[in-house]
Amino acid sequence: MSTPNTKTWPKLTNEEEFRFLADLVLKRSTADHTVVNLHDQHTGTTRFANSRIVQNVDTRRGTLTVTVAFDGRRGSASTTDFTAGAVQDALARAERIARVSPEDPEYLPPPEPQVFQTPLTSRPETAAAGPSRRLEYANEAIGQCRIENLEAAGIVSSSVASVGVAASNGLFAQEERTEARFSLTVQADDATGWSAAAHRSIDHLKIQDRTLSAINKAKRSRDVQELAPGRYRVILEPAAAAGLWSWLLWMLDAKSYEKGTSPFAGQLGRQILDERLTVQNLPGHADLLGTGFTSEGLPSEDAVWIDKGILKQLAYDRFTAKQHGVKHIATLEAPCVSALGPVASKTQELIKQCERAILVTNFWYIRTVNPTDLTLTGMTRDGTFLVEEGQITSAVRNFRFHESPLRVLKHIDALTEPVEAVTSETGKMLVPAMVLRDFTFSSVTRF
Amino acid sequence: MPFPRADEMADLALKRVAASGAEYADIRLLNSTSQTISGEDRRIASIRDAEDSGFGIRVLYHGGWGFAASSVLSLEEVPRVADLAVEIARGSASLASERTRLVDEPVHRDRVVTPNRIDPFTIPLDRKTTLLREVMEYMQSQPEIVRSSASLWARRDRKLFISTEGTRLEFDLLAVQGEFTATARYDGRFASRSFATPHLRTGYELIEGANFMAQAPRIASQAVEKVRAAAVRPALYDLVLDPEHLALTMHESCGHPSELDRALGYEANYAGTSFLTPEKRGTFRYGSPDVNLVADNTEPETLAATGYDDDGVACQRWDIVREGLFVGYCTNREVASKIGDTRSRGSNRADSWGSVPIVRIANIGLEPGSASLDDLLADVKRGIYIEGHGSYSIDQRRYNFQFGGDAFWMIENGRRTHMLRDVIYHGITPEFWNSCDGVADRDHRRRYGFITCGKGQPGQSGWMTHAAPHARFRRVAVIKG
Repeated sequence: MSTPNTKTWPKLTNEEEFRFLADLVLKRSTADHTVVNLHDQHTGTTRFANSRIVQNVDTRRGTLTVTVAFDGRRGSASTTDFTAGAVQDALARAERIARVSPEDPEYLPPPEPQVFQTPLTSRPETAAAGPSRRLEYANEAIGQCRIENLEAAGIVSSSVASVGVAASNGLFAQEERTEARFSLTVQADDATGWSAAAHRSIDHLKIQDRTLSAINKAKRSRDVQELAPGRYRVILEPAAAAGLWSWLLWMLDAKSYEKGTSPFAGQLGRQILDERLTVQNLPGHADLLGTGFTSEGLPSEDAVWIDKGILKQLAYDRFTAKQHGVKHIATLEAPCVSALGPVASKTQELIKQCERAILVTNFWYIRTVNPTDLTLTGMTRDGTFLVEEGQITSAVRNFRFHESPLRVLKHIDALTEPVEAVTSETGKMLVPAMVLRDFTFSSVTRF
Repeated sequence: MPFPRADEMADLALKRVAASGAEYADIRLLNSTSQTISGEDRRIASIRDAEDSGFGIRVLYHGGWGFAASSVLSLEEVPRVADLAVEIARGSASLASERTRLVDEPVHRDRVVTPNRIDPFTIPLDRKTTLLREVMEYMQSQPEIVRSSASLWARRDRKLFISTEGTRLEFDLLAVQGEFTATARYDGRFASRSFATPHLRTGYELIEGANFMAQAPRIASQAVEKVRAAAVRPALYDLVLDPEHLALTMHESCGHPSELDRALGYEANYAGTSFLTPEKRGTFRYGSPDVNLVADNTEPETLAATGYDDDGVACQRWDIVREGLFVGYCTNREVASKIGDTRSRGSNRADSWGSVPIVRIANIGLEPGSASLDDLLADVKRGIYIEGHGSYSIDQRRYNFQFGGDAFWMIENGRRTHMLRDVIYHGITPEFWNSCDGVADRDHRRRYGFITCGKGQPGQSGWMTHAAPHARFRRVAVIKG
């Protein structure tokens, strides 16, 4: 295996260059307000299936977006071409749009210049990781599976992005963000096991541990029995729990809340979940994918969203916040669900406590069924097991669930400390594994 | 030409890759222009005009794939990207237990242009925003309508594809779509009803022909009727599904399982595999004899009818399910040979210059039968008629599905009587399609499609059209959502 070849990576737009590009726009703009957003990213993914490389890609994409406003009339134009002429053309297009746009009654000027925290959003080892490093990790996972005579499918990816926002009122922020991901599905004939990781540092993907975990699940999934749909006690591993939490947190939109089209309508300040549960935003946490600022140029900061089960925060857009006298807009890009009181140290401890339960590794294709009460549906995937008298006794065929997290999270039987959780459909969060009672599985599939 | 010097860049890239000893390479140079106008609650919330340009080089070296892409459009960037694509391909080849081989395709030299009467980018912006504001204003002036949204979207792709085999293809493709939604609130509940044009490769005439203002009263009144309607009582019902609704049902339960890369395990870690495994081709009874599902990437105006795919393979028409029997897959030049096919079906598409092409669902549609909608309804004693899209979810092998809809009516003794709410039906794909006992005729055929079909890692959005007339399904399990 060759060493990483960092010379092939082009240099991303740095702070000084972003200031130059922003000035090309800001100094020429005739609008009342002008905002420039930068997203310049270099990302590579090595993808494998059937224990061989099937896709191996590397893309550099830079995008500059210009938003202008005249008397509350707004226009936005973007370009991937960073030459001076193209950047100025984006400004001209944005101005043309704004001049003929209707006035937006919800328009607000860009935020005043802010003081931003500087979480560690970039790790040099990830920024330097190229195709050979990704291939090395893919080969490690494939090799482990071959030893067990199992098939591996998955990805190793790494990316580095320069992200920035600059406005005509002096607002400015720029930071570099790295991200590495690994996910693996191990196939043992008809059975599958899965594991995944995401981290700012490619050194923290724990390829070997996660590969062994996926292998173990695939092997345990071979002897499968079918259980009837119904209400079961469930042990949700962190990834499965994260699937439910993600939908709950996505639905905290303040405008929907104020207009009565939110499942949380009227619940602000009230107990909505088990009193042991607290949800915070922790952008500075080393194991989360926190950022220093939002695309609007607002600071990302620590915030409590649900405090001991009581709803404390909504996701405000700036207009709705102003309308309702909310001075500080909380963000939620680095969620951590923590528990008060005694907790188990690992999922294994939860298993030991259960007389009979269904252990769920992950959920798949979660979608809203009823937005009024946040009823969701989705499938169990890649490791669903029957637990009897404190141990896994067999795999079970995958279930479809039909359940509202607002109902089942009102009472938690037991839970662990929060741990890293990544799913294929959501971002990353810290979340405990949980034991929930009366969880509704509405049907069963053929495998 | 997508941008100046595109041919020169392509020539430089392919010569450089060919010199490395690679057996195959292609380059796609693409300029995409899109305009999205979004309205919310009477106001125009955003107008976005995006220019997205770049190039991607795909290399097959000793049976291993490499792909590199960049938005930096300079002759200096081309060698870096070309060399990187070769370096990546060499890495892939070093771990290859099996060499990737491409099935043959004739060399093509062609130019494909979307026919259109009205270029959507020439329509004055204020005409578009006025339309959206008027439709939102109308809806929110109706009692119990508390929210509204409306949007218009258009995209032009100018693309140049050149391969080391000599294929050279130029594209100038358009796509257009518009939609609006009304949300009603009643008794602590809320419900939405939507109108959407299909996404089609045509001009602004699609939006003008849709006549939003003529549709708005129906949509607003049905949103109110829906939120006030009685909830469905769980039971087995006969279902009559409209073409817009069926587009999603076909997409999830037929389209995805017919992608050969899925059936071969390429998507096992993300989008999933398929219950339609290769040994089932030609023998598996997917549906009743009334079910004929045809892939047609040649039908004008449909999303996948681009003349050629991103392998440079000419678009085709073929059977997926013939009289209920599963007979065909969507393939590309890589996977076709793995089931003994000598030519790709031309279903390899990338969602941008920065993405590598992967197997995508074709324009799969349900062939018309001989009934009218009234005939289908007449033979239902107790059923539900469903229009539009709602909740949807399906397992990773595409067996167990669950769908909602946008609007539901009770059918009693052959007639649509009143609206219902919270209707969800679920089933197992082949059991469901085997319960189909009636398909409406060609007069009822409509085309709908998707531009947000998620697949691949990194994720890509696929575009395809699904045409169907109304169809009837017997004794389907319905629950309350």
